[in-house]
Amino acid sequence: MIESAIAVRAVEKRFGGAAALAGIDLEIGAGASLAVVGPNGAGKSTLIRLMAGLGRPTAGSLEIEGAPATGRQARARVGLLADATFLYPQLSARENLLFAGRLYALADPAARADLLLADEGLGEVANRPAGEFSRGMAQRLAIARSLVHDPPILLLDEPFTGLDRRGAEGLSERLRRLHRDGRTLVLVTHDFTRAAEVADRAIVLSRGRIVRHLEGGDLDAHSLERSYLEAADGAA
Amino acid sequence: MMAPPMDASTPTRESPVAGSDARAVRISGIALIAFLALYAAMVISAPSDAVQGSIQKILYVHVPTALASYLGFFVTAVGGLLYLWRNDDRYDRLAHSGAEVGVLFCTLCILTGPIWAKGTWGHWWVWDPRLTVTLLLWFIYLSYLLLRSFTEGSARTARFAAVYGLLGAFAVPLNYFAIDLFGGAAMHPENLERDSLGAGMGLPFLVSMLMGVVAFLHLLAQRVDLASLQAQALERRLQSGAARRGGPAEDIPGSGSPGTGALSVDNDRGSAL
Amino acid sequence: MNVLLAILWKDLLIEVRSRDRVTAMLVFSLLVVIVFHFALPGSNPEQQAANAPGLLWVAYVFSALLGLGRAFSLELENEALSGLARAPTDRGWVFLGKAAASFLILGVVQAVTAVAFALAFDVDLSAVALPLAGIVALGSLGICSVGTLAAAVAVRTRFREVMLPLLLLPLLWPVISGAVRATAQLVGGSDVEFEAIQLLIVTDGIYLVLSFIGFDFVLDE
Repeated sequence: MIESAIAVRAVEKRFGGAAALAGIDLEIGAGASLAVVGPNGAGKSTLIRLMAGLGRPTAGSLEIEGAPATGRQARARVGLLADATFLYPQLSARENLLFAGRLYALADPAARADLLLADEGLGEVANRPAGEFSRGMAQRLAIARSLVHDPPILLLDEPFTGLDRRGAEGLSERLRRLHRDGRTLVLVTHDFTRAAEVADRAIVLSRGRIVRHLEGGDLDAHSLERSYLEAADGAA
Repeated sequence: MMAPPMDASTPTRESPVAGSDARAVRISGIALIAFLALYAAMVISAPSDAVQGSIQKILYVHVPTALASYLGFFVTAVGGLLYLWRNDDRYDRLAHSGAEVGVLFCTLCILTGPIWAKGTWGHWWVWDPRLTVTLLLWFIYLSYLLLRSFTEGSARTARFAAVYGLLGAFAVPLNYFAIDLFGGAAMHPENLERDSLGAGMGLPFLVSMLMGVVAFLHLLAQRVDLASLQAQALERRLQSGAARRGGPAEDIPGSGSPGTGALSVDNDRGSAL
Repeated sequence: MNVLLAILWKDLLIEVRSRDRVTAMLVFSLLVVIVFHFALPGSNPEQQAANAPGLLWVAYVFSALLGLGRAFSLELENEALSGLARAPTDRGWVFLGKAAASFLILGVVQAVTAVAFALAFDVDLSAVALPLAGIVALGSLGICSVGTLAAAVAVRTRFREVMLPLLLLPLLWPVISGAVRATAQLVGGSDVEFEAIQLLIVTDGIYLVLSFIGFDFVLDE
């Protein structure tokens, strides 16, 4: 039996008195590409963060390839691109990647850093402080950082926010390429066009629960948007 | 302290310990009342100290409060350790309660000390080893409680508090050695040998120490009980809130029942990693 | 181990570039020296020499508080702390890296402050410079170990600037009292008594181990 890449079992998460996740069951197989959509407050970011091992669920469990999501083994297999970039503004792009490489105990962090910079088209600004980067450039650097340890599983929380059309197209293409290479992707986004481009499955979250599941032929920008609006109405 | 009646239709996850919390309160309460009479009798009938006069009797309050305040920190530290190990909220409630009750006794100890000191040595405050260490303990308690109130998120609060409680637990004996080594005027009556207390004071002293322990345990039980009731109330509120919200979600066409059943999102190619 | 060095490198690099931690700490501790000098009227030199060690360590502790707080507030930008938490490594190494960086930066400040102190209070430290450095290092070890843990906790509370001294100072008493006593003996020309060193070493050891282990729980979200 093949272990799912990500297994979410009866997961609940509460912050103080409010329940962000009220019972999520989900199995994501290796190599899948899943989009997660839903109105604000539905619990999408919370779910991604729990998958990334940042925080423990109030109830239930999350596993990455059979190991607990909060453990060291899982952390090595997952890359996270969140709204926060985890970058040090005082360090240059290259130094940020160098540091991340060392943090992940890579054999040759320098080579990896240069490779990633080239991949993201940041070669020219490699030595500029990350604090000077535009939103789009910082995003690309953050993507590079999330890929430093070549993780088989990539979690992305609203990566298209703040990107212009060209940036979004570039990112979409990049993600599709990563998927074709065999990575498992989980993508939270409000951009239904990109979601439909990148994902082959989608779930709709509302008020901490999964309310809709779309896949294959059913999955296009229009149906996603419709599902999202229904969920948003239901949540109102 | 009776648990409020629960709505039978609302599913609850009642803490299995709830019953024993209330029982602990009752038992320790009974012990307390029983002891109280004995304690009062002993203190009143105890002989006055030849040198210090009747103010010496504050010893029967001061020393037990000191004992209780150290007991309190022990409970806090151990509760925190168990919480980190087992991740069970009950241990965190125990730790928190230990701190709240402990700081109460610690305050009493620091208040009664100077009263005694003024009456016997003529100074309100001396930097005597034991007083100083108790003062430091008081500050560690305060920092612990402030940390709890300034941290957001119950899981994070519990974790931070547990770690700090453990650090504090080691700091206290280290403090003691530090002060002992480097002195301060050692004016404090030396520790408890039979003969250091005047004749006829041994038994009242023992009773008062026991009284301190029983009083501490009773207040601790009360506080833990209160904490678990609060936790249960919060749990019920959340569950009924969730049940109410579950309704509208089912009206969305095409959805399965909310939150039930695993949705498998498998890869077509079925390739393993 | 690599993680320790990586974090040490990163923190020192940032510090060398911006120099803001060192500057703030240095200015602050020099101000403390001046304030103390005016606060304690110039009585006889004997009394000055008697007060000096304690005051020196007060200056050290206050500037350490500044530095430790800053060590973690710079991790808050862009949630870098979560980035560290996600590294697939024993988090104790992250702790050691941060503590080592704070230790080195504090050391620089302490050296300069000692010179300023010697001048202001007319105390000759050159004769005992090496043993003094040893005592100061032992003291700083205690301060930076439990201080790094406390700072990691404080930085995620509501009043982080106030929380750090509240948390740290009660825990530092054994370190400060041992260090002050040893410093006083050195400056006074006598040998340092073994008990003081012993207290420092035992305290440092306990605090290092506890902080190393505790850091794992503190870094959890």
